[in-house]
Amino acid sequence: MKWPTAILGYTAAGMTVLVAALVPFLLMGVFAKGITRLGLHVDEMYSGGPLVRTVQAEGYTIGIHKAVYPHFWQTEKPFVQLDWKPVAALPEHICDVVDVKGAVDADGHGQQELRVSFDVPKDPKAPLHVNVEALDPRFQAMRNVGKPKFSELIARVDETIIVRVPLVEQR
Amino acid sequence: MGEATCKVYPGKMQPRSWGKALLLTLPIALWSLLMAMHGLTQPQRAQVIASGMTAAFMIVLFFLMMKTASTYRWRRWFFVALGVLFPIGFIHNVMVLRGSMGIPIEEMIAGRTPFCYLPIPLLILPAALTKTVVFPGSILPGGGMAGGGMAMMAGLWLAITLVVGKGWCSYSCFFGGIEEGMAALPKKAQWKKLDPRYRLVPWAVLLAMVLLSLALFEPAYCMWLCPFKAVSEYVAARNTVGLVQNGIFVVLFAALVIVLPVLTKKRTQCTFLCPFGAFQSIFNKTSVFDIKIDRAVCSPCVLCQKSCPTMSLSDESIKKGETLLSCMKCGACVDACPKGAAVWHIKGTEVSVKPERARLMFLYAAWAMATMFGGSIITGGLKTLLDFVI
Repeated sequence: MKWPTAILGYTAAGMTVLVAALVPFLLMGVFAKGITRLGLHVDEMYSGGPLVRTVQAEGYTIGIHKAVYPHFWQTEKPFVQLDWKPVAALPEHICDVVDVKGAVDADGHGQQELRVSFDVPKDPKAPLHVNVEALDPRFQAMRNVGKPKFSELIARVDETIIVRVPLVEQR
Repeated sequence: MGEATCKVYPGKMQPRSWGKALLLTLPIALWSLLMAMHGLTQPQRAQVIASGMTAAFMIVLFFLMMKTASTYRWRRWFFVALGVLFPIGFIHNVMVLRGSMGIPIEEMIAGRTPFCYLPIPLLILPAALTKTVVFPGSILPGGGMAGGGMAMMAGLWLAITLVVGKGWCSYSCFFGGIEEGMAALPKKAQWKKLDPRYRLVPWAVLLAMVLLSLALFEPAYCMWLCPFKAVSEYVAARNTVGLVQNGIFVVLFAALVIVLPVLTKKRTQCTFLCPFGAFQSIFNKTSVFDIKIDRAVCSPCVLCQKSCPTMSLSDESIKKGETLLSCMKCGACVDACPKGAAVWHIKGTEVSVKPERARLMFLYAAWAMATMFGGSIITGGLKTLLDFVI
């Protein structure tokens, strides 16, 4: 037998068995922590951009997120996410003019506003539809839109109603 | 005549005594009970019974591996149980939570898409280049059905992979059991001549899917080609594209997981499509365990080649005394070889020097992982079934 390589082989095999025994108690957490320390984040096309401002309305808040732009050949349009919460505090019909300043890099011209209107059904599973009038020309208007795309939708996620308004231009 | 059929070759491991087999099973028995402890202390009767049944199942199978010195046929019981019970538990859970196997867009936005290991190779390039994970799940625990998050699944995958290499595909993959079960049904293969060049297809699929996932910034395999979407969950079809995607999942599942395994007695999805399997093959280079063919003993009867469920032995590789990179260490070739020429091996040691020691060390590691990961899935599926009965 080639002793040095055989010893190495058996040592590695023994350590492998040890690793297998330690995984549920120690190593799984170590690996998981290591992965989280890499500073990774879920694609904002799914999660929405970071929150830049919160506007206080009558009994509820409107969150304005930073614009999300597609990577490489991603087929979605760039969009800005707005969210209304809590759903329980929302009136039956929402018609808000939202100042989206800060969501898109401002060029200092024109109104940075959107008029968003939608009904808030009592049934959490009822379909939602939204109308968006783009007072800011960089945004696309939306007419009776449900949830056809990640970049163009209204959806209820837990206690929040999310509206994503597509931008006309690429960055 | 009796002598001719019962001839004992010196290299072939013989069955053990009950006592020795029991003694060798003891560590795994303790491990299985430790893993089942959480379930055994739950207030729900179904959970307690399911945990107990799983522990007993894993212990009995390991004992039979020790007693008979055969690996493949006992491992197959575990693997098929895993493959069958995973969809039962999983589909039941998604139906209870959402009432559908389709993942609604709201769940993706909330980062609650359960994460399986198949997209791992597709996420590496986007993550490396942009620090972005192109999967609608959560990185930290809290998202996903099991609440584990992607980091937990990735950590678990990495740990098991370091231990068993491509053995993942035989001891941890909760999809492969369905086709292995289908392949076990017929006595003989109807289609015996399979072009060995098809073995390269998973590598081509892997390359294409990795590049597409980077370009489109989405897990392309999950969106377009994964046959197991048919028995887990899929993106809820909101338009024609969605319908086409779901159609592809069903056709691929029917062809590669149901029909072709019955016709060929091979794991056809794993052999001819799975990009994760191709990716996992790379880790056979880092794993310390492998299978070798002892050229001094081998008379090329090619029984090993015929028995391999993933075509991981070729004439050339047998001549070299090796398996191909795609070997998933299921042990089929070792069990099939009448002369004991196909042997378990630890890298660095000489071939056929104490191969049973290599087998034992591999099996302790692999079965410990299988009990921890697969065992919990089997328990989940059993509990679902028991909930209907009790």
